[in-house]
Amino acid sequence: MAIVYSSLVYLGYILIFPGFLFCFVAGMLITGIDRKIVAKMQKRVGPPILQPMYDFFKLMGKETIIPAAANKTAFLAAPIVGLAAMVVIQLFIPVISTPILYGTADLIVILYLLLIPALAEIYGGSASGSPYAGVGLSREMVTIIACELPLVLIFLSVAKTVGNAMGTGLCFSLSDIAAYQAANGSLMLKASMIPAAIAMLLVIPGETGNHPFDAAEAETEICEGMLAEYSGAPLGIYKLTHAIKTFTLTALFVALFLGGIGTGIVLLDALIEFAICVVLTIIFISLVHAVTARLKIEQLFKYYWTAVSAIALISLVLAWFGM
Amino acid sequence: MFKNLITESTAKSPWLFHINSGSCNGCDIELVAVLTPRYDAERFGFKLAGSPRHADIVVVSGPLTQQSLPRTLRAISQVPEPRCIVTIGSCPQSGNVFKGSYSVMAPLSKYVHVDVAIAGCTPKPEAIMDGLVQATEILKEKRKAWLEAKKNGLKDGPKAETEQEVPAAEDIPASGEEVQQ
Repeated sequence: MAIVYSSLVYLGYILIFPGFLFCFVAGMLITGIDRKIVAKMQKRVGPPILQPMYDFFKLMGKETIIPAAANKTAFLAAPIVGLAAMVVIQLFIPVISTPILYGTADLIVILYLLLIPALAEIYGGSASGSPYAGVGLSREMVTIIACELPLVLIFLSVAKTVGNAMGTGLCFSLSDIAAYQAANGSLMLKASMIPAAIAMLLVIPGETGNHPFDAAEAETEICEGMLAEYSGAPLGIYKLTHAIKTFTLTALFVALFLGGIGTGIVLLDALIEFAICVVLTIIFISLVHAVTARLKIEQLFKYYWTAVSAIALISLVLAWFGM
Repeated sequence: MFKNLITESTAKSPWLFHINSGSCNGCDIELVAVLTPRYDAERFGFKLAGSPRHADIVVVSGPLTQQSLPRTLRAISQVPEPRCIVTIGSCPQSGNVFKGSYSVMAPLSKYVHVDVAIAGCTPKPEAIMDGLVQATEILKEKRKAWLEAKKNGLKDGPKAETEQEVPAAEDIPASGEEVQQ
């Protein structure tokens, strides 16, 4: 009986909260708010906030065309693999201070899981056999490599700071990071962690492929790159994965730098987390989208490996000297 | 449970694919005016898609030159069902001032079913917006018809009704004179 009960509980975690259903609603709402705010900044009326939901459900009802040159299995499996990985990340991210699944190296697991949706997109795109997808996936690979270095530096500096306090060297466990922040206040308040937090906020739009860093999916230039051949339900699942990624990365920021502000009640915490994510999205995704033009892929790479990495490195050096 | 939701969403999220089949660029700028801040079609959910596979509504402008006709028809056939075809301006409807030219193959309705034809040279942005909103209603009807056909056992929906034979590139007469209107 106990096994049945606990497996039901885990199924609930995966499908409802904080898994699929929660991610779906939060991701869609955040994307809708982002589109509305960008429209307001461009003096437009803008789409309704539920527009991404309409887009998703419409795509579910459309015909799915599989190109003759495509590898059918890879073409259809890739979006589902990407979505599954995206939902699993959400299980590892504590809702402000209450972790759902935890282990000793959550941050490393998250680092790898964050790669899977992008890799699935590359896999599906190359399976579609379209030249646009070919251009898009080579750019997507460069984007992944560009964002990975600052992200690793940020994770290391957080792990070192918390590890120093715990006396364990490096601490990659998100539940320990949450416990440390609950006891000592948010990491954002520590002077040595402020550069890392800024670097993380700069990494978010690149990692989600939002506007100035969307060279891989330039719809006016290469027909959304890897998605060029997709239609119907698989395209909808990709759009959903993108929406969830925005929410996941902002939630990860909240877990890493703004922990310890929770109330202990999980539902209330989830609401606070969502509100902070919306604010972060408006400032660091919508505003950046509205005021910048798309970067070329080599400019994107240079930006992340020089400016953003340097900011993250300051934090790492400070953390290493125990400040 | 989701069927009604999907049918409602079909009318609320129409993505456009624009084909210029030899247009003078007049209708194209007017379409851009519809999409940009002044008229902001995005408030109805319209979005310009880069690939025909993402589109719901195909917007055709221009008098269908001999070279562009097979490509136009091929691009239209790449759009997944349910789809709508909207023509902008007088050119795809009649050939406009180019009618009778050796290289002009208009009207489009001879080759494929046209759902909404917006007349004018060029039509006002308000007219284009009105035509596109009408097209979203037709999309919804098509989705309902498709569901109905599925219930009656037709697997791929009522394609035969909406889709006519698309001529292959070599079947299209080389000279406009052979196409009597």
